[in-house]
Amino acid sequence: MHLFLLGVSHRTAPVDLRERLDFSSRDVGAAVETLAARASAAESVVLSTCNRSEIYVASSEPSRAREELIAFLSEYHQLPRDAFLPHLFTYDDTAAAHHLFRVSAGLDSLVIGEPQILGQVKDAYQAAADRHCTGPLLNKTFHWAFGVGKRVRSETGLGEGAVSVSFAAVALARKIFGRLQGRRVLVVGAGEIGALTAHHLRSHGVAEIVITSRTAAHAEALAAETGGRAVPWSDMPRAMGRADIVVTATGSQRPIITRAEVEAVTGRRRPDPLFIIDIAVPRDVDPAVGEIEQVFLYNIDDLQGIVQENLARRGGEIARAEAIVAEELSRFTAWQRSRRAIPTVIALRQRFDDIRRSELERLETKLGGLPPDARARVDEVTRLIVEKLLLEPTEQLKALPDEETQAVYTEAVSRLFRLGDGSDEPDASPMDERRRRK
Amino acid sequence: MNVLPLILYAAAGVAYAVHFATRRPQAGRLATTVLVFAAFAHTFVIGMQTMEVRHVPFANASSAISTFVWLLALSYLYLEMTSDERSMGVFIAPMLAGLQTIPAWSPGIERIDPMLDSPSFWMHVSSLLFAYASFALAAVLGLTYVVQFTEIKKKHLGFFYTRLPSLQTLDIMNARAVAVGWLFLTVGVVVGVIWVTQARAAAPDDPNLRAMSLDDPKIFVAVLTWGLYSFAVLARRMMGWSGRRAAWLSAVGFTIVLLNFLPISYFVRTSHTF
Repeated sequence: MHLFLLGVSHRTAPVDLRERLDFSSRDVGAAVETLAARASAAESVVLSTCNRSEIYVASSEPSRAREELIAFLSEYHQLPRDAFLPHLFTYDDTAAAHHLFRVSAGLDSLVIGEPQILGQVKDAYQAAADRHCTGPLLNKTFHWAFGVGKRVRSETGLGEGAVSVSFAAVALARKIFGRLQGRRVLVVGAGEIGALTAHHLRSHGVAEIVITSRTAAHAEALAAETGGRAVPWSDMPRAMGRADIVVTATGSQRPIITRAEVEAVTGRRRPDPLFIIDIAVPRDVDPAVGEIEQVFLYNIDDLQGIVQENLARRGGEIARAEAIVAEELSRFTAWQRSRRAIPTVIALRQRFDDIRRSELERLETKLGGLPPDARARVDEVTRLIVEKLLLEPTEQLKALPDEETQAVYTEAVSRLFRLGDGSDEPDASPMDERRRRK
Repeated sequence: MNVLPLILYAAAGVAYAVHFATRRPQAGRLATTVLVFAAFAHTFVIGMQTMEVRHVPFANASSAISTFVWLLALSYLYLEMTSDERSMGVFIAPMLAGLQTIPAWSPGIERIDPMLDSPSFWMHVSSLLFAYASFALAAVLGLTYVVQFTEIKKKHLGFFYTRLPSLQTLDIMNARAVAVGWLFLTVGVVVGVIWVTQARAAAPDDPNLRAMSLDDPKIFVAVLTWGLYSFAVLARRMMGWSGRRAAWLSAVGFTIVLLNFLPISYFVRTSHTF
């Protein structure tokens, strides 16, 4: 059985094509089931995000699987083959696993190290597993990939540091206040980045979002959108006095928050820190405000600087992450190789057991006189001898270092013990073996 | 006997440093495990000494330091386990190892003095040592706060920024450590006064007991310490002295504690030299 992958991603296809090949907006589970019904894909998982649509299958005939998957994509999305063929990528076996490991680690993402992808891979696998569309090969490969994703996350800084302005602001707020639950936020101005930051803060559980804008209607619209409360522009100083985090994003041409205004609401009256995020250009907050002891003032350039640094730092972690992926891949391929030896091992054991049984049958007349427990012991002893004789060769066969050597050895074993022609076909079950021998 | 805990504290220090630098969870777990073993070994050492002299060994400066180190290790482990925050270990463990070199190098002779064999004396010294251990924690938390504060304020979000906890967490932990330390310091000083009154009645001619007054450098500095931490506790509540001011206060406070502990204990003869 071979691992085969076919798909498009942000590296190979433009966004309009990715949209047309997207599975996530429709039922991924139904797509997997349709796919699994096809003969060439014994197991299948469909991974579909805004940056990629990938189909992983376990197939005994990868070339046939390729043709069938292309036909499936064309039918399912009602697209002519030629529209997507030049943008497709396909990988077999080790290369397919390598790709999946890199995807899970966030190495293949548009924003390197972004954290959502591992969850998306898990969801894709779960959707297939719930419909019984996965089997031994994809189960193992995907679980291995989850492990790789986790290792990269915990052992490298690939996913660390915010890589967008609004996330950088939230990360800073968390370094100042710890948990954001119970904190109060004041948003001054109802612009897009201000709204985005308010949304992020809301998702971190802030207690209250107060919005003020020179145009009351804008403030009310944003308040409705973020579950906040709009207050009149004239109430801004009072709202600032109650806030822990202030986000300013107005179109004002000169500072709207001065040092004196902030000093009036901080100091002895309010010992807690005040975090002011000034996203506006030109700036809304007088830079001198940052000199007040408990005020942390960050403007858009500071936040963008953090984002750039984080991106650079993530770039520096790529090599370490790739090394982890490579290490896991070599362990994975070793496991795959050991798996390929299994049919030969089963056939070998079967052959030895057949000999054992036929010898016991031949001696039946002599052994027939034995009491039942002694007879059972003879059976047990001969079985143990066979097992012990085969233990070492089995282990050796599984642990062979590369595919070619393994092919030579399995071939040799098959010939030496006349294991039959189909013995090196992967994944042949013991039942199949028995049937063949009859 | 004090050498084994010293080696283990030093090993824990190395593991905490590796954890701090690499942020590998395994290194962190290893560091905590080694520190737990160090604390166990130290408990065993102190237990053996207690059986030998029939009271917890702290009647000479070296053994008092050893007991202080042990209490600090236990307090830190408590803090780590309740807050799930390991990054302070890189500062605490080297401090434990550094101070533990003193009893390991010169253990001192623990005198068995019937005068010291009283529950109030035991309570006096153990309360003070526990208070000092809390102040040590508070000082480390305070200095860490200052480092983190400076990184965020100056917008240099570098090595320490990513590794240290949030300002709020550090400030709350500092406030708790100072409050607990102040409570034990108060108990220690009050019980000390009670003990000296009782002891004076029993042995009116003892020169040490006669010398126990505010003129004695050790007692004077202890009272000064109490004054400073009382101010820290009050200033936080009444004047909003939290954050950086509270952090500096706890650092200065612990410097005075260390001064009382090391130079005064070793180089100045006081009424507390037994």
